[in-house]
Amino acid sequence: MSLNDVRDLLWLATASYGASFILGMIKTRHPFSALFRESPFILILAGFFLQTRALYFRGLEVHGCPLGNGLERTQFILWSLIVAFLILRLVWKLNLLGTFCAGVSLILGTLSLGLKNWDRPYWTADGYTRLFKDPWIELHASIAIFSYGLFCLLAVVSIMYLSQRQALLSRRPGFLGPYLPPIQDLETAAFRLLAVGVSFLTLSMVVGAMHWTRHPEFVSGAKLTVTLSLWIGYFVLLIMRISNRLYGSRFAKWTIALFVVALLSLSLVSSKTKSQVFHAVNSSPIVYSSR
Amino acid sequence: MSTNSQNSLFLIGTSHQVANLNERETIGLPTDSIREFYRGLEDLSGLDECLVLNTCNRTEIYGTFNGAFSIDVVLKYLAQFRELDLSFIKEKTYQRSGSEVVRHLFEVASGIDSQMVGETEILGQLKKAYDEAVERDATGKVLNRLFQKSFQAAKWARTNTGISRGQVNLGNVLCELARRIFGRIDQCRLLVLGAGEVAESALEAFKSRGSEAITVTGRTFDWCPLSRRKPDELAQKFDGFTLAYSKFHESLHLFDVVLASTASANPLLTKTQVEEAMKKRPSKPLFIIDASVPRNVEECASSVDNVFLYNMDDVSAIANENLQSRLSEVDRCRVALAKRAIRLWDQIKAQPSLPS
Repeated sequence: MSLNDVRDLLWLATASYGASFILGMIKTRHPFSALFRESPFILILAGFFLQTRALYFRGLEVHGCPLGNGLERTQFILWSLIVAFLILRLVWKLNLLGTFCAGVSLILGTLSLGLKNWDRPYWTADGYTRLFKDPWIELHASIAIFSYGLFCLLAVVSIMYLSQRQALLSRRPGFLGPYLPPIQDLETAAFRLLAVGVSFLTLSMVVGAMHWTRHPEFVSGAKLTVTLSLWIGYFVLLIMRISNRLYGSRFAKWTIALFVVALLSLSLVSSKTKSQVFHAVNSSPIVYSSR
Repeated sequence: MSTNSQNSLFLIGTSHQVANLNERETIGLPTDSIREFYRGLEDLSGLDECLVLNTCNRTEIYGTFNGAFSIDVVLKYLAQFRELDLSFIKEKTYQRSGSEVVRHLFEVASGIDSQMVGETEILGQLKKAYDEAVERDATGKVLNRLFQKSFQAAKWARTNTGISRGQVNLGNVLCELARRIFGRIDQCRLLVLGAGEVAESALEAFKSRGSEAITVTGRTFDWCPLSRRKPDELAQKFDGFTLAYSKFHESLHLFDVVLASTASANPLLTKTQVEEAMKKRPSKPLFIIDASVPRNVEECASSVDNVFLYNMDDVSAIANENLQSRLSEVDRCRVALAKRAIRLWDQIKAQPSLPS
């Protein structure tokens, strides 16, 4: 276990999020002593620090924002999720939101690290210079993935909304219900997250479109279709929410469904050059270098 | 009062643990006689410090004395003051001394000795009793330290154990449910339909949490101007507004919480009417409490999206579950408080010229 190895750091970050999730759930029902009360949040901060360090090292390796394979994209989304949570926590102190975010980071983080073919070392291919040759594309990709992080947080808030709603409809105190935020606050937060997420995704689309008009040959049809479909999906969701045609539980379910689609389509949003690199390194053994 | 002599800590009291309501009423001190009672206590020779806690459920006298004093003197004084037999007082009171007093006070302050386990009102009553005693200069080094530590112990118990988890009072359960739906209770617009006891209890709970927009309506407005007109009285009592019953259906969408508590044999609110109201506030939840028997709100109205309908069985079930949850924490809390009490007692004993 090395604090300079990318995968070791990511495993440690995932373990830290996992510990935060478990302690957060225990703390909900069994109050801790003052000494350990903030431990779930401190563990999230520790996980965030380790994840940031790992992504930084990987960025140095690939000479750019690390978004070249499934592991990197998933980890960047989770990193964005935690950033969004930390920003939101400044104005809205919700420990359970952190616990839920830590839970999502645990599940997706373990999945992305467990699937070794998600972390193909494309940067070791012959002739590889840097991940993004055009800085505008790098900006486009990082903003897009950050917006995915916001949509991930939106899905987390929606899960909390549905849990609170279910607890209220069951007419029982329930395990989590009394500790979850109010229904109305969650719906307001979800709406704001959707609006901010759509804004970032739109900005990313604009930047990406500038590149696409100049070099359409680099953008595959699948990438174009998936990206546009997702943007239209979230945009329509926003319009329907503003016009009160979609709200409450149906709105929450749609935000979760769209995020699942976004996650599943992650592999399709790579540009052609990266795909070519993928093919080039497909036969080479996986080597993880540490710095 | 002096606190420098060698003295001992004692407690004499009565509560629901040893006396029924009638007996507690007989022993309890009338509010306007507390000062007089203190004057008599202070005149007892050998009593160094004293503090009287007098609530609807509990009458307790805490004190410290020196050498030759006997706590029977306090019992006799209480019997004489309340004009009761000494044997009755002895039978219906408990006595504690030394570390047991500390432990008892910690349990009282944290609410685990209360009839409604985990209730927080007792802490306010204790603080008030302590302030009164301090104002009279009736407390000294020992009781000051003891009571201040008991406030800390109560805070610790509420923060670190589950004895105050969940609401157990019906009005508070309703407020807690409203909080889980709307967040801020003070911004909820409340409509009360009828003027039953539950309505009043709920109104008190909402009002105490800062709810200002309270509206009351009832059938007695329209058909019988000479009737009890209780809805008017209820609105007046809680600084609320009144709404003509004939208008309440068309104004339903303006309210966040609707509490029905009438004796009507037929439903006063149907699913269709709720649906109509929700069309005008689609994304805002509506919390309906049907506190009537027979029910005033059609059960199927709960199927409307964003509508949360509770009847009194639901609310009672939540209150009971919360109470069970609190009771399961009592033993854990008691053990932890006992440890704190022993630590404090050792510290008090270690001080020069304090209890032996």
